[in-house]
Amino acid sequence: MSGAFLHVAGVTKRYGSRPVVDRVSLEVASGEALVILGPSGCGKTTLLRLVAGLDVPDEGEIGLDGRQVARAGHSLVPPYDRRIGFVFQDLALWPHLTVRGNLAFVMGSVGLAKAAGEERIRDVLALVRIDGLANRYPHQLSGGEQQRAALARTLVGQPRLLLLDEPFSSLDPDLRQALRTEFAALQRTLALTTLYVTHDREDARVLADRIVVMRAGRIDAVTARDAAIE
Amino acid sequence: MWGPRSSRTLVIGTALAVFVIVCLLPVVYMLTLTVTTAAGQQSGFGALLLDARQRELLVNSAMLGAATAIVATLIGVPLGVALARIPLRRKAVVRLALAAPVLLPPYVAGLAWIYLGGSRGLIAAVAGRDLLSEWTYSLPGAVIVLSLVLYPLSMLATEVAMRRIDGRLEEAALLVAAPGRVLRRITLPLAAPSILAAALVIFVLAVSEFGVPALLRVRVYTSEVFTAFAALYDFGRATLLALPLLLLSLVVAASAGALAGDRLLVTRRGAGGRPLLLEAWRRPAATAVILVVAIALVIPLLVLGREALGVRSFADVVGGSREAIINSLVFAATGATAVAGLAVWIGYARARAPSRLGQLADVLMVVLFALPSTVVGVGLIGLWNRSGPLGAVYGTDVMILLAYLARLVPVAALALAASVRLVPVSQEEAAAVSGAGWFRTMTHIVFPQIRLGLLAAWTVAFILAFGELGATILVAPPGEATLPIRIYTIIANTPSSQVAALALLQTAVILAPLAVLGLAVSLRESG
Repeated sequence: MSGAFLHVAGVTKRYGSRPVVDRVSLEVASGEALVILGPSGCGKTTLLRLVAGLDVPDEGEIGLDGRQVARAGHSLVPPYDRRIGFVFQDLALWPHLTVRGNLAFVMGSVGLAKAAGEERIRDVLALVRIDGLANRYPHQLSGGEQQRAALARTLVGQPRLLLLDEPFSSLDPDLRQALRTEFAALQRTLALTTLYVTHDREDARVLADRIVVMRAGRIDAVTARDAAIE
Repeated sequence: MWGPRSSRTLVIGTALAVFVIVCLLPVVYMLTLTVTTAAGQQSGFGALLLDARQRELLVNSAMLGAATAIVATLIGVPLGVALARIPLRRKAVVRLALAAPVLLPPYVAGLAWIYLGGSRGLIAAVAGRDLLSEWTYSLPGAVIVLSLVLYPLSMLATEVAMRRIDGRLEEAALLVAAPGRVLRRITLPLAAPSILAAALVIFVLAVSEFGVPALLRVRVYTSEVFTAFAALYDFGRATLLALPLLLLSLVVAASAGALAGDRLLVTRRGAGGRPLLLEAWRRPAATAVILVVAIALVIPLLVLGREALGVRSFADVVGGSREAIINSLVFAATGATAVAGLAVWIGYARARAPSRLGQLADVLMVVLFALPSTVVGVGLIGLWNRSGPLGAVYGTDVMILLAYLARLVPVAALALAASVRLVPVSQEEAAAVSGAGWFRTMTHIVFPQIRLGLLAAWTVAFILAFGELGATILVAPPGEATLPIRIYTIIANTPSSQVAALALLQTAVILAPLAVLGLAVSLRESG
């Protein structure tokens, strides 16, 4: 296995007989932001799910930080032991829990003392600038606030790898641009290892260190940011 | 399409008028009568309801309802989780077997319980002495019997609620927590409103149940209402005794309806993601399934079968009750057809009603369904037993059909509303734009798409009507008996083998279509 933090080698995933992800190989270095750019239905989300452990590859292998976590037909490390954060396209905030409750559920799995956990929740809420909304339920938040809450929930567990599935796609253009810029700054400040899928070139331009272009389940090109956009 | 002369207004208006007369008026009449009777009481209303005897009734009824709701939920929720999240083999057949007890008339389960634990029951025969009869005829006994009959409601509510949860919510949790914690902290809390609503419905059904407490000699309001009316001919006392039951049913059923909200109708599952699968729990779940099916279904049937072996000739028993059997089949089939025929229009009106009005209608339907059968019976008698044209109906078989309609239309309408909601309104609009009238749209566009729902509503109405006892025993004309009435009235003075044989026959009629369905599903699963 290579020295990259995330290592995906020859991974294929089929639904029925149709390969949705077809012999994909890629690597993400520690602290790097890799953006997968491609049209809807090209297999981007499935690739993220395979990395997260929510799906199992039919072929190939996946490694995290030098350890094999999945190989053909087998999940070797369950999702909750991979220490991966995932911001879903529809955010998937738990509707019966407040913002604090959403974060506290994650902290409950980290094994931190209660006081320290509370402090970290406060810090992360302040970091994404929703510290005044801790006691609100998801349905009481605006679209932008929900995005921030979902990001806070992901960051509070201090994941080793952050996966984002077009989290800004449902926002209006102005809010989308503001949050995108804010997230890019956050990603660089915290040096988060990030795999971000999108069909939006502007997302890719602002967020990526490197861009992978995907079409029909296959990697079409891997390139530096500016070249891919062009 | 809702114009004053449109066919839709005419049909739905007529259906609603019939619904009001058949389902609502008896209840309104009961309430009015109770208030009038109470005003005429010299001792005062409170004194009548709260003397020591009445307090015992209140405590017994509340204990029966609460304990049954708790025990049935404790059995039903794990089974619902198993059906929703554990990959079991032949799951459709397993679901049918687990749901079957709720289709049995509760008093049949009560009879099996007596033949098992009574002083001359199976356990006493094996042990050589009476070990359990005191416990058999008791409040805890009634709780166990009713829990084993009603747990499928909690099970099915849990399964449906869990299937509706967006899989992404569980996936998001699985990234940070093991499946057991995800189930406890995310999945079950999201399903909790439905589980609680089912518990409240079970509470009301247990409080409303007549047959089991009457058989097991537990004094509760329903049996007291029956005694006041049928044995003491005290109509005023019967209506007064019905009041606490009526209020209890109203409050609890309204809470259940409000809690469930649109969940009563929405049957589509959540949008995305893969639901949590608890594969590691497959073996304990399979063991639990076998245990529950054995205790709630197989053992009661075996006990009834053993008891029925004592009859000299099964044909004689059937022959002796032939009229009741034929009556039951004819009344249940006619009643189910009438119920489905009325409920389909009421269900359509509910499905197409504005959101707030629709939710109110849901609460009303749940309340009406939860009304104790003896209360419905007394209300029907009060309303129809009078001189004039209404009196012409009283004393005829039509009263039995009216009882079925009053008891079963609300629940059938709720089920059919769920089916109609799955047909988008735009399809009706497209038909209208194409020049089809509303009635043609219904027969060619809507009905073909809800035919399975209609069939299910008819079947459930048939099964429930076939086992109905509390209302029919009050309203049936003299000399006219259905099978449940026949069984209930011969218990005291007929050999138990004959009673068991009739109960088995009744069970067979109810379970036979289910067994055929199970076989068909099983063949399809294995094929």
